[in-house]
Amino acid sequence: MSVASTSKTKTAAQGEGGTSGRRGLPRGGRRREFTTRRGLQIAAFMAPAALFVAVFTYYPMVAGGQMAFRNWKLTDLTDTSWVGLKNFRDVFADPAWGTVLTNSAIWVVGSIVPQLVIGFALALWLRRRFRFRGLYQALIFFPWAISGFLIGILFRWMFNSEFGVVNDLLQKAGLIDEPIAWLADPKTAMVAVLIANIWYGVTFFAIMILAALQSIPDELYEAAALDGAGKARTLFQVTIPYIRTTLALTVLLRVIWIFNFPDLIFGMTGGGPNNETHIVTTWMIKITQQGDYGRASALGLLVVAALLVFAVFFLLATRERKRVTQ
Amino acid sequence: MRRRTAVLALGTAAAMVLTGCSTMSPGASGTVTLNMVESLTNPARTDLLKGLIADFEKQNPKIKVNLVSPPTEQADQKLQQMLQSGSGVDVLEVRDITVGPWSNNGWLYDMKKDLDGWKGWEGMTENAVKAAQDAKGRTYFVPYGFYGLSLFYRTDLIRKAGFDKPPATWPELLKQAAAIHDPAQRRYGYAFRGGANGNSNATAAIEAYLADQVDPANGFKLKNGRTIFSAPEAEAAMENYLRLFRQASPKSSVSWGYPEMVEAFSNGSTAFLLQDPEVIATVSESKSISKDQWATAPLVAGPGGKTVQPLATAGWGVAKGSKNKAEAVKLVQFLSQGEASTSFTKKNSLVPILKSATNDPFYKSGPWSSYVTMTEQPDTYLVVTQPRGVSWWAEWQQKADTEVQQLILGKTTPKKLVAGWDAYWTEKWQQEK
Repeated sequence: MSVASTSKTKTAAQGEGGTSGRRGLPRGGRRREFTTRRGLQIAAFMAPAALFVAVFTYYPMVAGGQMAFRNWKLTDLTDTSWVGLKNFRDVFADPAWGTVLTNSAIWVVGSIVPQLVIGFALALWLRRRFRFRGLYQALIFFPWAISGFLIGILFRWMFNSEFGVVNDLLQKAGLIDEPIAWLADPKTAMVAVLIANIWYGVTFFAIMILAALQSIPDELYEAAALDGAGKARTLFQVTIPYIRTTLALTVLLRVIWIFNFPDLIFGMTGGGPNNETHIVTTWMIKITQQGDYGRASALGLLVVAALLVFAVFFLLATRERKRVTQ
Repeated sequence: MRRRTAVLALGTAAAMVLTGCSTMSPGASGTVTLNMVESLTNPARTDLLKGLIADFEKQNPKIKVNLVSPPTEQADQKLQQMLQSGSGVDVLEVRDITVGPWSNNGWLYDMKKDLDGWKGWEGMTENAVKAAQDAKGRTYFVPYGFYGLSLFYRTDLIRKAGFDKPPATWPELLKQAAAIHDPAQRRYGYAFRGGANGNSNATAAIEAYLADQVDPANGFKLKNGRTIFSAPEAEAAMENYLRLFRQASPKSSVSWGYPEMVEAFSNGSTAFLLQDPEVIATVSESKSISKDQWATAPLVAGPGGKTVQPLATAGWGVAKGSKNKAEAVKLVQFLSQGEASTSFTKKNSLVPILKSATNDPFYKSGPWSSYVTMTEQPDTYLVVTQPRGVSWWAEWQQKADTEVQQLILGKTTPKKLVAGWDAYWTEKWQQEK
């Protein structure tokens, strides 16, 4: 069809109905008119997915959420009466609550900062072209494919004072004279779980940052080089500003995930010794194991609320900064 | 065309929803399918169960069994969810720690009437028959075996340290373990359980110190009605236990659970281990210690020479929501007698439920002989029902585990520890009334 005939057809169509369609869409144009029948058809297509999400996501959320306000103990379900905010009060009144909150903060900050720094360094290194780069990338990303609980069990053995490889290496290197009882001392136990988590999570930062780095046009670096920018200046004034959105989103995701990541601690220390390595989510598992689903559910809602507030503030803060920079 | 696609999509959605909601019901041929869920799952045991089920299906061609094997760590929670939904389970593994809450919630079927006059009872040990009934005489499960403690010890190490026989009491255990303990040589006296489930060995020590005074119906109660933790012997037991940690155990055993304890004994570094018979198989496979370097002895006693065997048990039960209860009970009966039961206890290293096992050469020799010794001397090795069925058992275990760690970390004293436990159990029993 020639250009002339196309414009002719268009004009004819407009001439017939003008722009009388809803939302100013031309009749007979590429978009079809929205009719009741068409609406029903769309609804029918969407129904299975909507039903699936409603049944498997929102129903459990609501059902679990309402337990927080009831006396819901698996050991005795004959009385599941409404108890108002009692479960929340019980959570706050627990003597271990302060330790659990402090540990959660240490767990998140102590994991995320080293993960970000080491992950960034790895990504910068992997961006360069060298032999077997693909193999190195695969090896570095591999830990991310392993279950957190399994990693916990592996590190539990590695940090075993008598039979573990960590003390053995430290002793052979002459760094320590006597084995350190890593998981038996509350202070060193927290250090041990942090080391394991840093090792585990570095990979995710490396993957995300590497993907972002590969999207930076070479021209920017060439321009920076022409302007006489050194390595540090290029990093802080070209690389980081360019990938800031990815960095912000990755940090946001990781904070949420690490906060919600009991697997590793559970596998390594079970929250011990003396409850000193419990974070909020391992504490929640501990309460669930007692069969007190009401209190565990209250704790779950508190976690959701805390993370929502964090996410909103974090996104607002990073958006604000972006606008200022622009 | 478009209409046909829409119809197809709706049809698929409807089929997905409907298949999700269907239940197992007798087929047209009259064949019944039972759903059986195990809890203490491990691959070898699942294979064994499948073999036994195949035998059962051969004997009962109109019954098919679908075995569900969730991973052990989540199995009881999965079972709870299935039972709560009211369908999908016919036969299930019930443990002494789950029978209380599950029967309380009305999820388990009382098999008492169905098993009245059943010949299987005649072949069972007294312990097994007793464990099959709760305080009100209801039968929510038939035990398949018992987990009981015995002392695994290194024959060569005790000889080298100048002892001619294994310790028979807790104070003797401390003496021998401390004599062998030498961390500089990476040789340790006792595989201390300070981590998960550390409370169990601590309470076993207390019960041993009080053996004669313990109420046979409740291992945590004295015959005078007070808790075992209220007696002065409880404090003495904990003082000895604390010394066992300080003088004879590796430092890191503050956090040791089952795997570390068994590894410490199996790798040849540790002289004594208190464990269930299932460890026999693991230690037998050890490449670090040969068969003549280790043996088992009966559970150590209190200073009075007697002890309480804190038997743990589990068995097979039927869900109240099952629509095929007669067939389900038939399967429970099959697994609880004859060759099926013997084969299950032998291959799982369990203390057997059948009387005939005491004449079996398998149990009479080697590491199993200490279990026969304990069974044959019921006045020395007292069998006492442990209060594992109470609704607060899980809470108690977590509390007691933490407090045992506090004791060995020096954050509390034996006196404060047992006083706290006494107050806890006294209060719980009062609330129960």
